[in-house]
Amino acid sequence: MSPRSLRSHWRVTILRMVLFSMLTFPALTQASDDVSGLAFFEAKIRPALIEHCDKCHSQRLERPKGGLRVDTRDGLLTGGESGPALVPGKPDESLIVRAIEHQQDVSAMPPKQTLPPRVIADIREWVARGAPDPRVAGKRPSTAFLGDRRDWWSLRPLNRPRIPNDQSGWSRTPIDSFIVAELRKNQLTPAPEADRRTLIRRLSLDLTGLPPTFEETSSFLADRRPDAYEQRVDRLLGSPHYGERWARHWMDAVHFAETHGHDQDRVREHAWPYRDYLVRSFNADTPYAKFVQEQVAADAFFPEEPGKVVALGFLSAGPWDESSLRDIREDSIDRQIGRYLDRDDVVTTVMSTFVSSTVHCARCHDHKFDPISQDDYYALQAVFAGVDRADREFDTDPEIFRRRNEWTARLNALRTHEPAAMASLDEEEMQRQSAVWETELSSKPAVWETLEPLRLTSSGGATLTLENDGSILSTGTRPAKETVTILAPCRLNGVTAIRLEVLSDDRLPSKGPGRNDNGNFHLTEFRVSASPRDQPESNRLIPIRIASADFEQQGWGIAAALDGNPKTAWGIFPEVGKSHQAIFQLESPITGGDKNLFTIVLEQSYPESHPIGRFRLSVTQSAGDIRVPTQPDNVARILSVPTQTRTREQRRELALHVHSTSLELQLRKLPPRQHVYAAASEFAPDGSHRPFGKPRPVHLLRRGDIHQPGKVAESGTLGCVAGLPSRFDLINPADEAARRAALALWITDRAQPLTWRSIVNRIWHHHFGRGIVDSPNDFGRMGSLPSHPDLLDWMAVEFRDGGGSLKQLHRLIVTSAVYRQSTRDDTQASAIDSDNRLLWRQNRRKLDAESVRDAILLVSGRLDRLMAGPSVRQFSLRPGVHVTPVVDYSAFDWDASGANRRSVYRFLFRTLPDPFMDALDAADASQLTAARTEAITPLQALALWNDPFVLRQCDHLASRIESQGADVANAVRYAFRLTLNREPADVELREMSNYVTRHGLANSVRILLNSTEFMFVD
Amino acid sequence: MSMKRPITRRDALWRFGGGLGGLAFAHLLGESGLLAGSLPRPRSGWNGGIHHPAKVRRIIQLFMNGGVSQPDTFDFKPELVRRHGEVFDPGGHVEAPTSAPGKLMKSPFAFRKHGECGRWVSDVFPQLATCVDEMAFLMAMVSRTNVHGPASYLMNTGFLTPGFPCMGAWASYGLGSLAENLPTFVVLPDPKGLPYNAKGNFTSGFLPMTHQGVILDAASPTPIPDLFPSRPPKSLTPEAEREGLSELGKMNRRHADTHPGDSRLEARISSYELAARMQLSAPDAVDLSRETNATRRLYGLDDPITEDYGRRCLLARRLLERGVRFVQVWSGAGGPKNNWDNHSDIHNELPAIARTVDGPTTALLRDLKARGLLDDTLVVWSTEFGRMPFTQGATGRDHNGGTFVSWMAGAGIKGGVSVGQSDPWAWQAAEGKTTGYDLHATILHLLGIDHQKLTFRHNGIDRRLTDVHGHVVEGVLS
Repeated sequence: MSPRSLRSHWRVTILRMVLFSMLTFPALTQASDDVSGLAFFEAKIRPALIEHCDKCHSQRLERPKGGLRVDTRDGLLTGGESGPALVPGKPDESLIVRAIEHQQDVSAMPPKQTLPPRVIADIREWVARGAPDPRVAGKRPSTAFLGDRRDWWSLRPLNRPRIPNDQSGWSRTPIDSFIVAELRKNQLTPAPEADRRTLIRRLSLDLTGLPPTFEETSSFLADRRPDAYEQRVDRLLGSPHYGERWARHWMDAVHFAETHGHDQDRVREHAWPYRDYLVRSFNADTPYAKFVQEQVAADAFFPEEPGKVVALGFLSAGPWDESSLRDIREDSIDRQIGRYLDRDDVVTTVMSTFVSSTVHCARCHDHKFDPISQDDYYALQAVFAGVDRADREFDTDPEIFRRRNEWTARLNALRTHEPAAMASLDEEEMQRQSAVWETELSSKPAVWETLEPLRLTSSGGATLTLENDGSILSTGTRPAKETVTILAPCRLNGVTAIRLEVLSDDRLPSKGPGRNDNGNFHLTEFRVSASPRDQPESNRLIPIRIASADFEQQGWGIAAALDGNPKTAWGIFPEVGKSHQAIFQLESPITGGDKNLFTIVLEQSYPESHPIGRFRLSVTQSAGDIRVPTQPDNVARILSVPTQTRTREQRRELALHVHSTSLELQLRKLPPRQHVYAAASEFAPDGSHRPFGKPRPVHLLRRGDIHQPGKVAESGTLGCVAGLPSRFDLINPADEAARRAALALWITDRAQPLTWRSIVNRIWHHHFGRGIVDSPNDFGRMGSLPSHPDLLDWMAVEFRDGGGSLKQLHRLIVTSAVYRQSTRDDTQASAIDSDNRLLWRQNRRKLDAESVRDAILLVSGRLDRLMAGPSVRQFSLRPGVHVTPVVDYSAFDWDASGANRRSVYRFLFRTLPDPFMDALDAADASQLTAARTEAITPLQALALWNDPFVLRQCDHLASRIESQGADVANAVRYAFRLTLNREPADVELREMSNYVTRHGLANSVRILLNSTEFMFVD
Repeated sequence: MSMKRPITRRDALWRFGGGLGGLAFAHLLGESGLLAGSLPRPRSGWNGGIHHPAKVRRIIQLFMNGGVSQPDTFDFKPELVRRHGEVFDPGGHVEAPTSAPGKLMKSPFAFRKHGECGRWVSDVFPQLATCVDEMAFLMAMVSRTNVHGPASYLMNTGFLTPGFPCMGAWASYGLGSLAENLPTFVVLPDPKGLPYNAKGNFTSGFLPMTHQGVILDAASPTPIPDLFPSRPPKSLTPEAEREGLSELGKMNRRHADTHPGDSRLEARISSYELAARMQLSAPDAVDLSRETNATRRLYGLDDPITEDYGRRCLLARRLLERGVRFVQVWSGAGGPKNNWDNHSDIHNELPAIARTVDGPTTALLRDLKARGLLDDTLVVWSTEFGRMPFTQGATGRDHNGGTFVSWMAGAGIKGGVSVGQSDPWAWQAAEGKTTGYDLHATILHLLGIDHQKLTFRHNGIDRRLTDVHGHVVEGVLS
């Protein structure tokens, strides 16, 4: 809009406009209660404003054109540089109407086109009705907003449509009746059935991802039984390759890969069990509702089946930002951002996959098109606020699992001093076990006495403070090189050992015990010397016999603190955030008792900037070989008291120790657990990536901005599904698994309209190359409309009410007449429906990357049908400059073990995918891929023509043919049978024989494997 | 995946002129129904622009991986000299992502004014400093994050998370190819290693795979994988190769003829013909021995310090000359060392990496200008974020998304200008703030593209390179 012309218009109308807006003010307040008016707004006006005006006139733009914003009521009333755009009730006075009607003196809007007459009429009518508009800034959408937008095909209740009456005689299944009815309406007729050679190739590739062998094709062609086709369908659905094929489709949808992605693309060693779970589930035809429930909350639904948690690999399938979520400071704003984005990926994956909803569009504001509020979005984030992506431990044996749980619960009860558990310690049996334990102790443990320092010095300028418990805290400057010297009286006579405890503390970075940012410290050297109190100058070095520590960082053992080498030291990474201890045993006891002064030197100079944050020194006069681990101080003290004089509290404390350690031992002796990379609320901490213990609070972020947190979100889901509550009424809202279970129940509810439509459409997509809705992840207003809505609903109901059997659904689809059509062209039909949306023929499809690779292996005779297990790494891998390794696919030996397994077992690197598979349009595992893109490019031609994998298989295929010992012509025939499942035509036989004679078999099968006929399925 | 008739798809095919990747794109667009009314075709009257006249036909982007320290290169701050060693207390919360904030630290490098524009440049870029009158600086760029991975994604794809198409992919999608026998978008990573996010920075995301960056390994004897068989068997003679392609062509032709009405089958035939042409032209494009000794010296190929980066800059120029539209050259691998991520010692780490690019970048600018290429070529120099004005450890600097510097030179750019400035410490952008979105919007603008109109619908959203942000930075335009 040219501001100049609007301004001239403005001069004329300014006074009138102000007057009008004042006059119409009462009407406005009425307008917001005008339910039918609001409905009109939602149905006609909001979509029109978004579609035609929003791009230039929206509040999300910093500088909207002409200063005008049309996406709030205030924006329209206030207007822009040209003044108010709207005078409620007065369309002729309203700039917005005049502009879209291209009236004189007003810049035409939109500048270069005219709106459809219907839209112009609607806006005029709306203004005339007083411009009812619920869009008050900062206010949640009214129920009218939700109500009206709810009227959308995918949200309508699922009812079984009537099967159209069909007398064509063409139909084989009810599906066909729906199809043929639409064809008829459009003067189209179905294509004839494809020939049997085409059918079996199509069927085999669709159901198992492998073409049929020549023998399978021949036997099918020879099978004259009337149900030969159906028999073949059942055989293929029963093949274990079926599960492999459909697991791979699912892996696309959920962006499964085996590395973190992001900048630290670390390998996930235990991601593959989820892939095996998928293969098993598809092969076992797990009812779909159960399949969903297992993947969202197997731990909550099937606690008696501990092995089921591998299904939770679904929630962790996507990328994970290790830098943001583990490496940077835990208290940084970037960590917070990382958490919200990480949950965003989980929410997006769940809702796109199962209900084809674009809820992720409501992260920064209410959804612009669908009835999804920002509240709903954050309610979904709250559902997953109690889990992280991590290696989750699990038992496969339910009995072991039961025992482990029981013992762990008991141990936790003891550790937290639960009254009942504590009382049980007084029981006779417990006391007896205590006594037995005590008699079995070889020697009394050492009793330690804390040293009380007289003087503390820091060479590096740190501030050392003596705490009440006798420990010393280092604060202030963090020296690059530090030496702490402690002068303390000896107190005991005959000291045999000195203990250094390094203590964790919330005041230290990463909770210490060191002062490095990661919580680590390095003790370069430990020295102790003693002098008589009255002769401090006669200080003599005390020889140390041996040192021991409760934990030693790899390459940084305690012995390094005694070796006199300034380039070695003791450290404890990654066991930070916990206290540790080292014990230094002296060569011989120090006599002279408290007449002695100790000088203890803790050198912390290498590597730099790793001083100890808090520590305590103590001494003992106990005899014997004193090392860590030793008995805890309290236990040692009780043991030094004669049995009969111990108090009840002391007996209880001892029993607590005995019983706890015995439980710990029992637990350690259980068979080790398996690991799966999955959603987990409990897992081994990895630096600051550790369990939070309860659901993290999730705030509604205004504009998606971490700096604008709003109220805390309660767990829930979409509010737009009629009849299903959107907020979960949980007995214990802090039970995070219950939140996930509630969402899974919402997804799999019978009355849920989205779920059943969504999965049926996905399956259809893979049988026709295109869904009935061709945006499988978006059933909202930005997605496509169904080409056959009644057919979709009929199949969804049939599927839901038939127990959610995917195999049943496949059978229904592939036995239909519409599926069995040929792909032949028909210029007349094409003139009516060039896109084949109505399915007047079957679609010719290009083989996907995995099918190409597997088909080549099948015909070369090298396919390895081994199923399951860790993925095959078809690359060489060496350490990179940091976490992400260097991966070289070209260096792989194609005759190595595992090289010829099916593509679904390939190891999947997220940011370093296989270039060969990339060239063939394999899915990018950084994104949810509901439908793959399909390219035909020179780079693809080069990959198929020259890649070492293809060339190697050409050699194998040539040897396979040569082993038949045939002459050239027969070799060519055999090559055609193996690759294309047919005999060569005369001209093909002639030309190819000529080529074989000149250049050999390996070069000629390369031509067949690159042929369009091999690369497509008809 | 329905079969498309040639007549309905003709409109799409122009975009590539049969060039690399184009054919597939045509299928894809037609197939998803997005072509109608969405993207206009480049207009020759607009110098190839699709929404307005283009100033730029080709782009070379130099990406400094790790976060270039702005207070030690281009953003001179006397205040840091005055307050060196003091505690940093600007009022309000101060945090650094990987460390505890240290004391303020002045740059250890001398700054001088250069050129007619009087741009301050530190001594780490002595040669580049001679070009400042050609360059337009964004002096106050901000990021949304202080972490390498998300920040690199943001500067390459406009999003913090993986899976979105990068700028080169968008340019390829919007404008297509300039040459049918070479890729449209080429990436030259540092041979020491891929950057943070590895290939995620060069991805086509949800755009068709054909738009993703083709990685050339400049130092390898086979820079383009699978251009030729890597270990050809003896039987694979040139005759076998030539006649084999001819046999394949005949076979595919017979197949296409008996399966009419599906242009993909024609596309397959063309794809092998184009592949053969690429086999002829690509080796020449990457053969630096065809350059004169003087040129090779200019790019620093005779000096082990500059040899590698210089080779890639020279290669980039050869590719641009031959019609590659977008070349991205990376300096520095991912990880904590040997790049611009100078956490521990600015004094030594920064000059070491700066020396590798200073001469070659200068040579590139001069060479492009001398050959007239700068008339329609844009050079972009950028990084993912800046660094803190205070120390990390003794003499390092931590990540800082608060302010950093990028520059552009070449077609459509007003040399010698700067937009924006940071606060007195180079800690936060103070005025004339710009973002990665703005940089992307400006680059697309120069290419004749309105960044708000270059969209692709994915999972419910019409996605853009600039998300819902971005303004063309008018101040840098000539």
